[in-house]
Amino acid sequence: MTTYFLQRFLLMIPTFIGITFLCFTVTRFVPGGPVEQAVLRYQQLQALTGEGGAGDAGGSSATDGGPVISEETMQKLRAIYGFDKPFYLAYLSWLGRVVQLDLGTSDTFARPVWDVIRDSLPVSLWFGLTGFILSYTICIPLGVWKAVKHGSAFDTATSVLVFIAYSIPGWSAGILLLLLFGGGSFWSVFPLGGVSSAQIGPDSYLAGFLLEGARVEDIPDDERAKHPQLRPGQFINSRHPAFAAVPPAKRQRLTRGSSDDLSWFGQVLDRIWHMILPVFCYVLGMFASKTVLMKNSLMENLGQDYVRTAFAKGLSERTVIFKHALRNSLIPIATGLGHMLSLVLAGSYLIEKVFNIHGFGYLGYTALVARDYPVTLGILVIASSLKLLGNIFADMLYCAIDPRIRFS
Amino acid sequence: MPDDLLRVTDLKTWFRTEAGLARAVDGVDFTIREREVLGLVGESGSGKSVTALSILQLIPDPPGRIVDGQIFFGGEDLLEGYRRGSYERIRQIRGNQISMIFQEPMTSLNPVFPIGDQVAEAIMLHQRLSRPAALDRAAEMLDLVGIPAARQRLFDYPHQFSGGMRQRVMIAMALACQPALLIADEPTTALDVTIQAQILELMLAAKEKSGRAAILLITHDLAVVAETCQRVAVMYCGRIQEIGDTRTIFTAPGHPYTRGLLRSLPRRGQKVRRLPTIEGTVPSLFELPAGCSFSTRCPERLDQCSTLPPPLIETVPGHLVRCHLARPAASSTPDRASHRPPQPTQSATTPPCQGQL
Repeated sequence: MTTYFLQRFLLMIPTFIGITFLCFTVTRFVPGGPVEQAVLRYQQLQALTGEGGAGDAGGSSATDGGPVISEETMQKLRAIYGFDKPFYLAYLSWLGRVVQLDLGTSDTFARPVWDVIRDSLPVSLWFGLTGFILSYTICIPLGVWKAVKHGSAFDTATSVLVFIAYSIPGWSAGILLLLLFGGGSFWSVFPLGGVSSAQIGPDSYLAGFLLEGARVEDIPDDERAKHPQLRPGQFINSRHPAFAAVPPAKRQRLTRGSSDDLSWFGQVLDRIWHMILPVFCYVLGMFASKTVLMKNSLMENLGQDYVRTAFAKGLSERTVIFKHALRNSLIPIATGLGHMLSLVLAGSYLIEKVFNIHGFGYLGYTALVARDYPVTLGILVIASSLKLLGNIFADMLYCAIDPRIRFS
Repeated sequence: MPDDLLRVTDLKTWFRTEAGLARAVDGVDFTIREREVLGLVGESGSGKSVTALSILQLIPDPPGRIVDGQIFFGGEDLLEGYRRGSYERIRQIRGNQISMIFQEPMTSLNPVFPIGDQVAEAIMLHQRLSRPAALDRAAEMLDLVGIPAARQRLFDYPHQFSGGMRQRVMIAMALACQPALLIADEPTTALDVTIQAQILELMLAAKEKSGRAAILLITHDLAVVAETCQRVAVMYCGRIQEIGDTRTIFTAPGHPYTRGLLRSLPRRGQKVRRLPTIEGTVPSLFELPAGCSFSTRCPERLDQCSTLPPPLIETVPGHLVRCHLARPAASSTPDRASHRPPQPTQSATTPPCQGQL
């Protein structure tokens, strides 16, 4: 069995090369890549400055096709973006750097790709995992209950819900929810997006959780000199190191601020408040198919001979269902856990866009639109590695749960 | 009768299906005496298994439902709770006083639990033993049914056992609580012929050693019945057509269906090109004839057979036949013979019943 999994790990390498080579090659040949975009920006800039200076130059440099870029400049541009070599050589050098865990530098952020991704990953994991765990905690009891009560009014009613949830993509439900519950067109209950509140006014739900604070003007001068970044008219909260120096009489409860000005409990509430709609969308996308899978799996197992054997032993219906049948029907559900990470990350592109959550999916989306190939490929590297590892992990789970399965 | 262990009267188990109402068991009466082996024979779909499952109330509901009848076990009607929708009492009896072995050893054990736990489960439940004590008892039982190195194998999973070994595990599980009645629903059908005899012998021996249970043996193998059963009940279309002691059934069958079954058996030293068969096919459960259910195929049919359901008639003390041709007690033999039209196959093969005439 160890040999088997060792083989699987080794097989990851050619698969990984296949995936990345294909995608890398595509990036080399699609029109509208970073070089063309740089040329376009250059031409637009030239056209603007050329118009501005048209009176002096008399239109001498302007031609019908816009300003001409010298072949020398083009070569430089190609070299900057790594388009100066044939695609296979470029791929090899890219792969060589990836093996050394160097994903290059982002074209749009001008920072290492690792740093850009590292900033965005926790947000996505936080939202995705919450949605994932929540969808499992809903789908397993619901599926079990539907199987036990098969054919009842409860089963039919929840089936309708499941069908609706299954047919609405999470992100489009997100748009609908934002329209209904965010922004104020109908009911202004939830924020429009983001992870935490940037502005909390006196009429906000969270106003009661604002900390004590003080005006910058009320800070004693010697203390204020230590914090040159503070401007008159600003407020500081009780977490600020200068707050201790403020005389108690001058302290007051803040009436407006951002999530930084909330108490610890208020910050948690603020996070949750921002999470409800997006997490609902994640759950919507995931729970429907799992509920049906859970129900069908349990129904199938309840019809098995060993269930009859268990009943014939005198066990209660409860023990038969929850011990004998459930253990077997959880096998297909539990193996889905293997794909947890890749699912969480892959399923987030559009939901993160809709709710303006700056996570992994949002990064991938903007990188694609901006043709930021180093980031796009970096995301591909991480997503495909997680997917491949997830496959193996799922097989390991199979082995752990089902004693019949032994790989060799 | 004081030595009756189980008495089933007028049992009716019907299935509501999309095609209509299937009267799988439609008025079954029989008794099982203490420590006897009663064979229940009949072809597929005759209601043998449904009868057995009805005793333990294991009929899947829906679509099945025991609609009428009584099942007396130790003076108590087991169906009393069933009619109220309460399974409390039958759960104390299942696996404890009445246990069951199923046809499919390959799928009758839960694939994800070690067999030791599965055997011990009933012991822990009914005898209130701790898990280690129950596992000890399970190992004893597995040893009794001839599983080598039983103690080590407690922790093996069902897929690590062959079909015959799994059926041994099932037998160990069924006998673990020393039941008064063991229902064996075609316990050897799914096994190799070489294993079949072993399993049957083992079942009988294990029953003797572990507390002398009575056995209801369901089978369609008449050879098995002849070897192991003291009495036999023959089922056809959801009814018992004939019940009596094995010797009488094999030597002087009272029902034309039983005679047909016995005639279709191959015999040693006899050369026939084709074995005789019973003409026609089993009627659909949805369209049973109004009278005798065998009337559509019976070679000895009378006019009244297709309209009037025949009663159970005691032809010999303890031997009941559901046939218009049957005559009570002493007068039965000549009467039946006079009604039987001469059959070409009969004269050629000499049916065993004629040896009695």
